[in-house]
Amino acid sequence: MIKLKNISKFYQPNVVAVDDISFHIKPGEFVSLVGQSGTGKTTLVKLLIGEERATRGELFVGGWNITKISQSDIPYLRRQIGVIFQDFKLLPKKTLLENVAFALQVCGKPMAKIKKIAPQVMKIVGLENKMNRYPHEVSGGEKQRTAIARSLVYQPKILLADEPTGNLDSINAQEIIDLLLKINSFGTTVVLVTHNRDIVNKLHRRVLTLHEGRLVSDQAVGKYII
Amino acid sequence: MAFLLSLGRIIKFSFQDIIRNIWLSLITVMILILTLLSVNLLLAVRAISGAAVGTVKEKVDINLYLRTTAERDSIMALKARISSLSDVKEVRYVSQDEALSVFKRDHVNDPQIIEALRELDKNPLTPSLVIKPTNTDDFDNLINELNKIDDPIIESRNFEDNKLMLNKINAITQRISDVGFAVSLTFMFITLLVIYNTVRVAIYTHRNEIAIMRLVGASNWFIRGPFLVSSVIYSLVSMLVVIFAFFLFLNLLQPYLETFFTGYSFNIIAYFGGNFWAIFGLELLAASIVNMLASLVAAGKYSHV
Repeated sequence: MIKLKNISKFYQPNVVAVDDISFHIKPGEFVSLVGQSGTGKTTLVKLLIGEERATRGELFVGGWNITKISQSDIPYLRRQIGVIFQDFKLLPKKTLLENVAFALQVCGKPMAKIKKIAPQVMKIVGLENKMNRYPHEVSGGEKQRTAIARSLVYQPKILLADEPTGNLDSINAQEIIDLLLKINSFGTTVVLVTHNRDIVNKLHRRVLTLHEGRLVSDQAVGKYII
Repeated sequence: MAFLLSLGRIIKFSFQDIIRNIWLSLITVMILILTLLSVNLLLAVRAISGAAVGTVKEKVDINLYLRTTAERDSIMALKARISSLSDVKEVRYVSQDEALSVFKRDHVNDPQIIEALRELDKNPLTPSLVIKPTNTDDFDNLINELNKIDDPIIESRNFEDNKLMLNKINAITQRISDVGFAVSLTFMFITLLVIYNTVRVAIYTHRNEIAIMRLVGASNWFIRGPFLVSSVIYSLVSMLVVIFAFFLFLNLLQPYLETFFTGYSFNIIAYFGGNFWAIFGLELLAASIVNMLASLVAAGKYSHV
């Protein structure tokens, strides 16, 4: 599903973001990508969604060779990868339902389909009663659920979660992790990028550990080791 | 079908964006209105100065003084000969009597001259041919042609005064034209910068929205589309307001111009009305293109994948 072969990313000749990283994530896996701030986790996410280009190596995501992908293909790649971020990235002037529908509108889905899919995913994330509220009217956890709902509308094979619990209290954080596990149970590959030790240790799933831009550990049932 | 659906959504998003960010939209339109109004004011100043120079040039003519003994038939023959020259627009015969009455009329407030005329007891003025050139810029050619005519009824052909005056007028005209051109160029450059910057600021405020559109897999054209449509809408609305306000202003200005150009038919409303599409159509086109280019550059910057 995701395959990295000796991937390196240098921002300037001497600034190394990630250095010679190789790993393979199989379909349906739940993998935590951990490491301290500045170790290259977010750079790796940007490489996976085609926002950045690798300086060296090869990167495959769901059949796409990201290192050779054309600019015009990137929007299609992004419709196959769900991404959520710490800051939710919701449109403040749209309701939660409109935010979810927006993702379908921009890729040209017919209105009838949007009216069917958007409320369905809102129900999956447990927000069917708050669909018509605006982002500023709901909690952080509910905003993150909306972001997850939006990422699910394309039924992606991969869900990248970049520090999804970073802005949440422990109860909301756990709810989001439970939701990610639920999505994973449907067959979606989930990559959780985090530096939250407690969450990683409770998951008992595969853990990839980055340190100073390099992959220092890959444990099948791992713990946060740094 | 999918294309039409996307186009419909792009237009819908554009209108939604204009309404939801109404203050930003109003400010953008206001800046466009002010710049377009300034451009049209500059055009009006150029048209008025051009007309003023034109009326001065219209007054320029050459007098060919004839002998008082000249027969009318000989004068008419000379008039016909001069009229046939390509550089001559019009030739008018002024008889001795007409010259005297014009002279008296021009000096009606100068009793000494009128008294002197009365004492002379005869008409001291000569008949003349008043020649209007076709092109005041090519005065030399006409003078050369007139100098070639050798007719005994011609008493005097001193054109130096006329030439000097015309050269002065042409120099002023050229100066006005050069300054006008330089001001126009500078202004056009400032206008382009203002429009470009206004659109960039408007799009900068949408950078988060653009990032989200990118994130959810919107194509580059889907991201840029609403901004392009908004650019055209802003340009169109601004142009309509400018046309309305500017013609209102011209209607107020016209009575003053009529007083200034007494005896000459210069109508600023007719000037702008007659060149409506050439002026406002081009301005709309230029404003839309600049707006759209600025949108493409600015949105491209934030939608860069």
